[in-house]
Amino acid sequence: MTRVLHAEPHDTGTVDTAPNRADEGYDTVFSYRELARLDEALTMSSRETGLRFTLYIGDLGKQTRLRAEELHARGGDPANSVLLAVSPGQRVIEVVTGPSAARRLPDRACALAVLSMTNSFASGDLVGGVVNGLRQLSDQAGHPRLARDH
Amino acid sequence: MTVVETLLVFLVAPLAVYVLLWALTYLPGGRKRQGVQYKPGQSWDHEPVWYEPQPANAPTHAAGEGDTQAVGSSLYGETAAIGSGDGAGPGHGSHGATAITAGAPTPANVGPLGGARGTW
Repeated sequence: MTRVLHAEPHDTGTVDTAPNRADEGYDTVFSYRELARLDEALTMSSRETGLRFTLYIGDLGKQTRLRAEELHARGGDPANSVLLAVSPGQRVIEVVTGPSAARRLPDRACALAVLSMTNSFASGDLVGGVVNGLRQLSDQAGHPRLARDH
Repeated sequence: MTVVETLLVFLVAPLAVYVLLWALTYLPGGRKRQGVQYKPGQSWDHEPVWYEPQPANAPTHAAGEGDTQAVGSSLYGETAAIGSGDGAGPGHGSHGATAITAGAPTPANVGPLGGARGTW
C-alpha cells in the first residue's frame, strides 16, 4: 500500500514487540483519514481499469519530467502503469503513462485531469485534488473488458 | 430584583456564555489536526513517499467469520472489533512500508510514454 522510498531497516522487534501502525508515525504528512482516501482512490481506480495507478509525492529535482519518467520505469509493470508525481515544493505535477496505458489514456485526457488537480492544489487541497484526478483518469480509461469488446 | 441581580442575569451570564464559546473555539489545543496543512508556495521538506494500490490477489487475509462486513472492509480485512484479532492490522507484514531496493533495475525502454504536466 505504502512505499517509503528511503526507509531504514533498523527494526529489531519480534512479532510480539514490533511497533504497530499507530506507534510508527512514519507518515506525518497526511492524516489517517487522508491516507485512507488516497488508498481507496488508488486501489479502486486500479481495480476498475486494470491499470496500475501510483502516486509519488516529493521533490522531482531540476528536470521534473525526466525524474518522473525514471520513477515510472522503476515501478512495477511500467507499460500498464500510470504515475502521478506531485512535487508540492516546486508546484509541479507530472503524469506519466506507460505505452499500453497511454492507448487508453490519451495525453489530452491526462491534461484535463491535471488541470482539475492543479486547481485543487492551488487552493491547498492536495488529497482532494489527487482523488478527483484519479477519478477522472479512471473514468476516462474505463473497464478493460468493455474496452476489449469494442 | 436588585441591581446586582439584574446585572448578573442580563450582563454577566450572557457574557459568560460568549466567553465559553470563544474559549472552546480559539484556545490552543482545541483543534488537533494530524498531518500538515499544505499552502501553495511553501517549501516541501518531507521525505518523498510513493503510494501504490493494494495488490488485487494478495489480501491480508480472506474475509471470514470474525471479519466485519462493512462496505469496503474487504479491502483491508479488518477484524470486527478492536482487540478481538491477533493484532495483525492492515499495516502488518508485507503491506507495511517497504523500501524500494537501491539496486533497482535500470529503466527498461518500454516504448513511448505519454502523460501531461501541470504547474500551479
